Amino acid sequence: MTGGEVGTGETIVFWVCGTLAVIGALGMVISRKAVHSALFIALTMINLAILYVANSAPFLGMVQIIVYTGAVMMLFLFVLMVVGVDASDSLIETIKGQRVAALLMGIGFSILLIAGLGNGLMETSSIGLETANSANGGNVEGLAMLIFTDYLIAFQVTAALLITAAMGAMILTHRERWYPRKTQRELSEERFAAGTHPGQLPPPGVYARHNAVDTPALLPDGSTSDLSVPEPLRARDDVREIDTDDIEGIRKLSSGSSTTDEGDR
Amino acid sequence: MNPANYILLSALLFSIGAIGVLVRRNAIIVFMSVELMLNSANLAFVAFARMNGNLDGQVVAFFVMVVAAAEVVVGLAIIVTIFRTRRSASIDEPNLLKY
Amino acid sequence: MNFTPPAIDYFALSPMIVIFAAAIVSVLVEAFAPRTIRRFLQLLIVFGALLTSAVLIVLNAGTRTVTGGGAVVIDGPALVMMGTIVVLSILGAALMAERSIDPVGDSFAARASSLPGSEDERQLTQRGYLQTEIWPLTLFAVLGMLLFVTANNLLLMFVALEIISLPLYLMTGMARRRRLLSQEASLKYFLLGVFASAFYLYGAALVYGYSGSIFFPEIAQSLTSKPSESIVVFIGMGMLIIGPLFKIGAVPFHQWVPDVYQGAPTAVVGFMAATVKVAAFGALLRILYVAFGGVRWDWDPLIWIVAVASMILGSIVALLQTDIKRLLGYSWIAQAGFILVGLAAASPAGLESTMFYVIAYGFATVGTFAVISMVRDANGEATNLAAWAGIGRKSPLVASALSLFLLGLAGIPLTSGFVSKFAVFVAAIEAGATWLVIIGVIASLIAAFFYVRIVVIMFFAEPTEQTASVVVPSAFTTISLSAGVAVTLILGIFPQPVLDMLSNAGLFLR
Repeated sequence: MTGGEVGTGETIVFWVCGTLAVIGALGMVISRKAVHSALFIALTMINLAILYVANSAPFLGMVQIIVYTGAVMMLFLFVLMVVGVDASDSLIETIKGQRVAALLMGIGFSILLIAGLGNGLMETSSIGLETANSANGGNVEGLAMLIFTDYLIAFQVTAALLITAAMGAMILTHRERWYPRKTQRELSEERFAAGTHPGQLPPPGVYARHNAVDTPALLPDGSTSDLSVPEPLRARDDVREIDTDDIEGIRKLSSGSSTTDEGDR
Repeated sequence: MNPANYILLSALLFSIGAIGVLVRRNAIIVFMSVELMLNSANLAFVAFARMNGNLDGQVVAFFVMVVAAAEVVVGLAIIVTIFRTRRSASIDEPNLLKY
Repeated sequence: MNFTPPAIDYFALSPMIVIFAAAIVSVLVEAFAPRTIRRFLQLLIVFGALLTSAVLIVLNAGTRTVTGGGAVVIDGPALVMMGTIVVLSILGAALMAERSIDPVGDSFAARASSLPGSEDERQLTQRGYLQTEIWPLTLFAVLGMLLFVTANNLLLMFVALEIISLPLYLMTGMARRRRLLSQEASLKYFLLGVFASAFYLYGAALVYGYSGSIFFPEIAQSLTSKPSESIVVFIGMGMLIIGPLFKIGAVPFHQWVPDVYQGAPTAVVGFMAATVKVAAFGALLRILYVAFGGVRWDWDPLIWIVAVASMILGSIVALLQTDIKRLLGYSWIAQAGFILVGLAAASPAGLESTMFYVIAYGFATVGTFAVISMVRDANGEATNLAAWAGIGRKSPLVASALSLFLLGLAGIPLTSGFVSKFAVFVAAIEAGATWLVIIGVIASLIAAFFYVRIVVIMFFAEPTEQTASVVVPSAFTTISLSAGVAVTLILGIFPQPVLDMLSNAGLFLR
């Protein structure tokens, strides 16, 4: 597995994971919905992680899963949820035929790239990483050795990148309060001054026989309270009808008379 | 199998990513396509590291992941800001800037 | 496992270390200093660090070394580029520090996070809040540029490219006025920028695959020592140079330029138009001359095509513009083409003339944007050319300064632009690319037309009621403007000392 040559097992891994990675990539480009795209590219990334391990890069395989699939893609999904999952492409083109031209250009480029590389890499030999990995006692040790010698400066200046990123996100999203924080008293006064319902809205079905959300609350006079049914249900006219027999039963109950007819039902 | 097949796979993924950038109009999907391109470059680095017999390629791939993470943070922050200003995430919509 | 830490020449790296340290202190100031004194402290840190860095670069004048495990190379051209970047950054930062042109503050939104047009934004503006986080961002961008011109391997160059880009993406979207335009420019810059860096990266992977190393000297060695030339490395090189070419704004990687010029705060445009171009040419020169110097004939045609396309497209489209910032955006594209003519020469003369051109261009650009930020009407900056009619009669001094810069960019004798164009064309002819120079001359004639058109509008058109007025700036903008005028004239009349300095700087260290 760590050698230069590709064995049968690895060939199978390559074809399975490679196919899945390509399916993920195509799915990402083709999906109408951004959430589907995000899930497809997560599939690609997991398969790439397996291919890294097959290429004697176990450390990178793990980092790929933790950083890319775990952190980066979750960040994407999080932002998608903020922006709205149904945000899909607009089909309006600024320039007519731009999309088709772009597609043709892209396909032309890929054919050139793949044909060129396929041609150039015909008789490549593979050395394998056995010597490189064993020189310092393992893959991780070897990477560490390089990071702290040849690539030390690059490693140090990534700090600048990370600080910039953190600060940038804060500049663009952190809202500073320019007004003093309101006290409890002010908040309460504001609530009553607004003249709307100051307290909690009646929950559905307080005095009714059901407590399902579509059951309106019954007021003491027998009428129903609109406030108790969530707005979307009211808009869809999905409010449960009130059974007048029920109301009659409740009235009898409250007046203290017999409840025997209750058992008959 | 020739290990060069890994490079061809990475070229294929890179091309799909590039086409995604060119064809899609949703800023977030465009950005995801760029991430795919970066990932395919990483695959090429890792495969070449094995073919060349040194670990430099793996180190580069490692750094690319760090850089990409920082890039994602800034990019998504910009997208969220515009979204809040405009309530939409499509890069073409009320197009103030001419092409 | 025996670990020997790499030798680091701290004195040679000190110009960058100062900037990096200052940037981190600057972040801490944002976190802990009270709001009222932040601006003062930040200006102290930024200008202090940039000046210190400039002094350290001068003290390093004789340094020729490769340090930090072979990752950073400090040689003559690198020092010239670093010095230019730091000096131009001082002038650019002065534009950003300007607070008396806009009646309510500097050119950045009071808080980039507040929604445009909201009560929140109004209150914050009224209370005089300033987004002082731009200062650490500026310092990080400068750090990135210094690393970009000194990086000796493809990885450090990639990291440096990102360190330049991230702060600039952010600052582009932070304009105080016309904020939606600014934010859209920021998004467009970002998406195209990461697209270009993905190409750079894949190119780097292919080059690594061919040569087994990402260090420039080793790449050069593998190109000469390997018996057969491989198509892989040339595909890689072609994709690799897309990174710097994008930052330069050369055709066909130019789509972001006019939008960012129009949308970003004028001070930021002044800063980045000047400095990023220097940095990107520094990096491009190093990639092509050091790593691929041995295979000149393979990359020359590529640069020719890009140069011709940039010169022609930039000049012609600029003719059609009515917004002065967009016009200068297209002019930047054309200028990129002219500089590439010098670069394509692939000779010591090509190196010198390219460096001279970016220096002259940088100072003229900072000055130009200083003037643009001063011309205003009721809605903020007056960027429509109609508002510039007759400005020369109202404020002859400012209009003359702008005319000098524009004539300089056009390449009229006695300005820095003439000397630089001349040097670039001579280098190209010596290298045998006469046909390229002929196209260059034709393109500069077209370009001269739109530069002169602005001068004519300013001086020979009657002022109308649309004509904007020129605001008197504080010392910050005045210094940038005067420095621009001085350098443009001095480089035009006595270019010899600078030309001598450039030839003394010598070649890239391999």
